[in-house]
Amino acid sequence: MEYKYDTDFWAGNTARKIWDDIVPGAPRETIPYTLTQDSIYKLCKATGDMNPLYIDEEYAKTTKWGGIIAPPSIHVLLMFSCTPNDDWMRSPGTINAGQSWSYNVPARPGDVITLQARALDKFIKGNRLFAVHDNVFFNQNDEVICSGRGWTIRPM
Amino acid sequence: MEQKFDIKEGLQFEGSSFSPTRETIWEFCEASLDYNPLHWDDKYMESNFGKTNFGGIIMHGMSNFSLITRMMTDWALPLGGTHRRLETRWKSPVKPGDTITPTGVVKMVKKTEKANWVVVAVTVKNQEDKLVAEGEAMVEFLDS
Repeated sequence: MEYKYDTDFWAGNTARKIWDDIVPGAPRETIPYTLTQDSIYKLCKATGDMNPLYIDEEYAKTTKWGGIIAPPSIHVLLMFSCTPNDDWMRSPGTINAGQSWSYNVPARPGDVITLQARALDKFIKGNRLFAVHDNVFFNQNDEVICSGRGWTIRPM
Repeated sequence: MEQKFDIKEGLQFEGSSFSPTRETIWEFCEASLDYNPLHWDDKYMESNFGKTNFGGIIMHGMSNFSLITRMMTDWALPLGGTHRRLETRWKSPVKPGDTITPTGVVKMVKKTEKANWVVVAVTVKNQEDKLVAEGEAMVEFLDS
């Protein structure tokens, strides 16, 4: 089935879980995603990170990785690529309060990446509603690429 | 390439600066697929978020995260280390026209059975020397 990414985060917003409905521990639906060299390049360019290891195959071949790898922060893209339009990380006004990520093996162009994700926790602090998302990305060989969680302030 | 591990507590290093504009923020929306209106919708950003009014669009926190991971790799890789972890807290929003610069300070070096792990305190400040992010990174230097 072809999946269409909707860049309008307002569209379908009513289908997304609000804070009250988020169940800590409940898995989030995810979608496999094939990483491309073009996607890696776009993210590097947008962050000004033009390390040849991420963009120059000839150079990357001479390194211990033997080819282009994605920068660690590729999970920023993977988070949205591997979740459907109704994932509550897309709710307009979701504010990122902080994140922590551990990196294992690098992602590479052509990797078919899967995500195991859940809401880990929710709480109220300083009159704000928080939800914690918990995520592990795997490649097609079932190796962990990276794992991380983020603290979000929910829109009210 | 084998290198002798020689990193001490207190060592400081700085990453590349980044000056977001409305265009670079939109470029990040397209590259990350994060189209939250916080990052592009002026009308929406006139509204209040609880007691907070941001007074305009703000840069993605994860753009800042990327800037820090870039600093960590740029520093660690030539020394033979691998950036293995980053934890951040956002202290203040970053807006178009700001210039932000990350800095790292080695807080601790811990020898484990297989490696030396370096714990780095990370801060990101803007052009007014205001703290916009802080956190902690870890770099692994495997025993050869």
